[in-house]
Amino acid sequence: MKIALSTLAGAALALGLIAGPAIAEDQGIIVYNAQHESLAKEWAKGFTKETGIKVTLRNGGDSDFSNQIVAEGAASPADVFLTENSPAMALVEAAGLFAPVDAETLAQVPQEYQPSTGKWVGVAARSTVFAYNKDKLKADQLPKSLLDLADPSWKGRWAASPSGADFQAIVSALLELKGEAATADWLKAMKENFTAYKGNSTVMKAVNAGEIDGGVIYHYYYFGDQAKTGENSRNVALHYFKNQDPGAFVSISGGGVLASSKHPKEAQAFLKWVTGKGGQDVLKTGTSYEYAVGKDAQSNPKLVPLADLQAPKVDPARLNSKKVIELMTQAGLL
Amino acid sequence: MSFLELSGVAKSYGPVTALAGVDLAVESGSRTAIVGPSGCGKTTLLRLIAGFEAPDRGRITLDGKVLANGGAAVPAHRRGIGVVAQDGALFPHLSIADNIGFGMARSEDRRNERIVELAYIVGLDKAVLKRRPHELSGGQQQRVALARAMAMKPRLMLLDEPFSALDTGLRASMRKAVAELLEEAGITTILVTHDQAEALSFASQVAVMRDGLFSQVGTPRELYFQPRDRMVAEFLGDAIILPAKIADGFAMSPLGRIAVDTKERRDVARIMLRPEQILLKRTSREGMSGTPDMLFGEVTDCEFAGSVCTVAVRLLNSPDPPDAAAIGNTPLILRKTGMDAPAVGEIVRLTVTGKAHVFA
Amino acid sequence: MFGDRLVDDSRLRFDPPEWHIAPLPPAGGGDPAACLMQSTIDMTPARLPAARMKERRPTSWITLAAALISLVALLPLAFIVWVAIQTGWDTVAALIFRARVGELLVNTVLLVLVTVPIAIVLSVALAWLTERSDLPGNRWWSWLSVAPLAIPAFVHSYAWISLVPGLHGLWAGVLVSVIAYFPFLYLPIAAALRRLDPALEDAAAALGLGPWRVFARVVLPQLRLAICGGSLLVGLHLLAEYGLYVFIRFDTFTTAIVDQFQSTFNGPAANMLAAVLVVCCLFLLALEVMIRGEERYARVGSGAARKQQRARLGRATLPCLLLPAGVALLSLGVPFVTVSRWLLAGGTEVWRWDEISLALGQTLFLAIAGAVLATLAAMPMAWISIRAPGPLQRLLESCNYIVGALPGVVTALALVTITVRVALPLYQTLFTILFGYALMFLPRALVSLRASIAQAPVELERAASSLGRSPVKALWSTTVRLSAPGAAAGMAMVALGITNELTATQMLAPNGTRTLAMAFWSYSGEIDYASAAPYALIMVAMSLPMTWWLYIQSKRMAGR
Repeated sequence: MKIALSTLAGAALALGLIAGPAIAEDQGIIVYNAQHESLAKEWAKGFTKETGIKVTLRNGGDSDFSNQIVAEGAASPADVFLTENSPAMALVEAAGLFAPVDAETLAQVPQEYQPSTGKWVGVAARSTVFAYNKDKLKADQLPKSLLDLADPSWKGRWAASPSGADFQAIVSALLELKGEAATADWLKAMKENFTAYKGNSTVMKAVNAGEIDGGVIYHYYYFGDQAKTGENSRNVALHYFKNQDPGAFVSISGGGVLASSKHPKEAQAFLKWVTGKGGQDVLKTGTSYEYAVGKDAQSNPKLVPLADLQAPKVDPARLNSKKVIELMTQAGLL
Repeated sequence: MSFLELSGVAKSYGPVTALAGVDLAVESGSRTAIVGPSGCGKTTLLRLIAGFEAPDRGRITLDGKVLANGGAAVPAHRRGIGVVAQDGALFPHLSIADNIGFGMARSEDRRNERIVELAYIVGLDKAVLKRRPHELSGGQQQRVALARAMAMKPRLMLLDEPFSALDTGLRASMRKAVAELLEEAGITTILVTHDQAEALSFASQVAVMRDGLFSQVGTPRELYFQPRDRMVAEFLGDAIILPAKIADGFAMSPLGRIAVDTKERRDVARIMLRPEQILLKRTSREGMSGTPDMLFGEVTDCEFAGSVCTVAVRLLNSPDPPDAAAIGNTPLILRKTGMDAPAVGEIVRLTVTGKAHVFA
Repeated sequence: MFGDRLVDDSRLRFDPPEWHIAPLPPAGGGDPAACLMQSTIDMTPARLPAARMKERRPTSWITLAAALISLVALLPLAFIVWVAIQTGWDTVAALIFRARVGELLVNTVLLVLVTVPIAIVLSVALAWLTERSDLPGNRWWSWLSVAPLAIPAFVHSYAWISLVPGLHGLWAGVLVSVIAYFPFLYLPIAAALRRLDPALEDAAAALGLGPWRVFARVVLPQLRLAICGGSLLVGLHLLAEYGLYVFIRFDTFTTAIVDQFQSTFNGPAANMLAAVLVVCCLFLLALEVMIRGEERYARVGSGAARKQQRARLGRATLPCLLLPAGVALLSLGVPFVTVSRWLLAGGTEVWRWDEISLALGQTLFLAIAGAVLATLAAMPMAWISIRAPGPLQRLLESCNYIVGALPGVVTALALVTITVRVALPLYQTLFTILFGYALMFLPRALVSLRASIAQAPVELERAASSLGRSPVKALWSTTVRLSAPGAAAGMAMVALGITNELTATQMLAPNGTRTLAMAFWSYSGEIDYASAAPYALIMVAMSLPMTWWLYIQSKRMAGR
């Protein structure tokens, strides 16, 4: 027993010593990645394969990374910042921490998918949807607008993941479109009506299981699950609000290069690759099911075309994440 | 019928026989000591009487009521028998007062007065009542344990080596105090001990136990001076055991002609003397001459230990006994007072007082 | 009396090495006077002034080191206070006295109030059945009652949520918490039950108490220390746990702090939630001290305790078997079935060996490095707490325990903010995460070290000094050597803690770090339960030997 134990400890130590330094070895460019890990991994792999530049991902969420980058300031170890939504980008931009994106990169993406400032660029997009359980709701029972969910008749019947940046981005669009007072009221009603889950996948899973009638999430969770086993989306259907409703909001995932980057050339190259053919093709053929935003890029054919979504016009640079957190904290959602 | 009666009580733990069928009768108000080497089964016997365990076979009755018969037994908490364990077994989480009052009903009126009274009876200062067991000395802990057991006015009190953890000096005084106390309270008592002096001085009846059986039961005097066999004799004190030829109330032995406690006639017998029956008197080699019927010896060793002195004496003129070779030149070991002890090489005259005991 | 004690202590002495010279005859075995005299002689050199001066020197260095470590350990607490002051009272009040904090407080308090009593009753029942009754296979059941500790709390939760997808809310939280944490109560209670002197129960029975009243008035009060300590441990875990409650959608302070952290990084809202959580922890600590009191529950008197008798269950055996069987089914069967199910469903595809081996290696590295650091940091304090105890030492020592009792999220939040604002070169470095681990798990190392140093008599150190070793060498060749098993035990405990740590690791880890727990969390967050399963399996497999060792140790401590 004694010998076995010390052998085991020795083996553990050896393995630790071999693998441990991996933490400290040359990491190439560091990407603070708030995008889905699987998508970012594919991008990093493709980029490294083509350019030989190593990419190290640090995974997290939009909000914590944006605040973290602001807190780190000029000393941030990050070279590139990737998000799922625009507000986090706006926050870092407002702090003046982004370097301008290379013109070549900007030229690869249509104007509507990048901020007017050119400090960051859209890398992908996602649409807000109301995912509902087909057995529980008929088409005529669906909400006409996101604002309808504040109605007392929806009490206890819908779900969301308020701690996630996805939902917070939707709220920021609401704030931009309808103003602070209306947003605060809607959040207050939401607190009464909704059920909180952690993560959009969990919301969809609950809808699928019939725990709840429907939930406000992004579209790709459904397609992703359908492509795998469909286990968590078998009873789910998607409802697009359209009509320029706040609920039809299309959120732009952004990418930017930090001004403090110690590898600006490599970082710019990465962003260029992501918005270029290689990166956008990953969106079309991969398992992410997010919309491609490149000029000539195609999204996955299974998706409802981006142009058909009748999304409201929102300038991504104007989305105010700080105010949203404040309002949500006031409403007791955080 | 006796107050407490045990008949054919047996108990085994797996392959180990702790009690092999024990009979005992204890009279009301008496004090009985059960003594034996460790592992002889005495504690098991006590636990069976207390009701902590049930016997495999046999019967235990107390005051005419059957406590245990075969495997069926009245549980301990319905027996009303007081127990004082080896180290007191005080409840560490309770104050002394609560320890003493543990067996009383919480609602009992005069509970506090009774606790104070009991503490007084066992000689505890009132001030200790608020303390915790670990703040007390060993002797005080034993007093608390006794007071606690007496609080429920038991008819029978079992003492399981209660004095063994105490210093030698304290042990004797506690023993005497407890004996008197229980006597006054009229409580029948059984003491279990491995200390023969304790057993002899404490009890009116002593039972010597070995290998799960009683070797002998009787008064302390009987057991000390007329033990049934060598083991009992040696267990209860130092013994000088000699081969002898007995007839007409006398024995012919290596120590000469000695009075014995039997009239029978036997050519080969063993007699026992307690060392204190042999008296030494200083003399000299010259003094030996011309007194053939007297017995002389030479002191070969003398170990001074304060009050007592252990003296080894080699016999010089032992009359020819039957199978003398058995003792040969083995010196007699005697204990004398430390004062005026003979020195090595001195010649002493030996005389025997009282009768020797003949083993059956 | 005194003599008896000394003889008693001799049982702790160690077997002497083989002698090449004929040993002296034993000095009169149990003769009290002889022992007394020997000990008097032994102590004389220590009274000489010169000897004392020499002894003092290492002590003062060690004291200084211990004081320094304790003060550094207070960093997170000081940080919370500092943030509160910086934020200003109005903002603090607005952030603390709001409905959401009330909700979280109600949730957290209810969780503790419901979970702890259930866990106590369950543990006492299980401990009694396995230790004091003739339950068939009681040794097995005893081990099965400890084994759930090998499964990280969030894996328990993951197992339950895959089995009953709709599970959520307070009662779900209570269920999974009891299952995940009751061994923390079972272990000390079972050990205490084993140590109880059966003579006390006999005495109570002889005083006329039936079995139930004996249990209530004699056994239960003596389990108080064990119950208090175990409850505190469970309570603190309930306050600190994150992953478990995320799965079943039950918001506590810790989950809310992480939410805030994810929304605002190190904003004042997160820090003020942390402040309230710290107050909860301190409250629990104080409560435990108050209830425990200055009690002594050791055996009074000398001599070995009689071996306990086991109660006969008789006809109740079968129903009694249902309890440990049911608990084992819920606490081990459910995770086992779920993990197996996901592994089967995932097939070979989920075993991405490059990823897994990297995570395994990094986890091992962090666990071992953190354990070594925590043990080194605990050494000075452990040493003075045994050799030179005093009021100042007790104060310093309690600092370590308080910080160790804080949830990982609080410590991590403090370290993130401090490094970002004040010590940027340390930000996101290996040093900071190991430092964080050391703060969080120092008490584990301290407790084991203390116990083993207490076993190494100071006389040995003095003997080594008298044989010509310098004080430090004497310390090394005696106490340090003898306490090595304890140090190893402490390290194992710390390593176990780090292996299953999630929140602080996520917040503090250097770029590129991916531990088993992080990987598990990331996959299960995307509902990819199958890919998470191998990581759950490896974490359990790594924890099992340490849990087994803990189990053996608790048996040994109880002397059986």
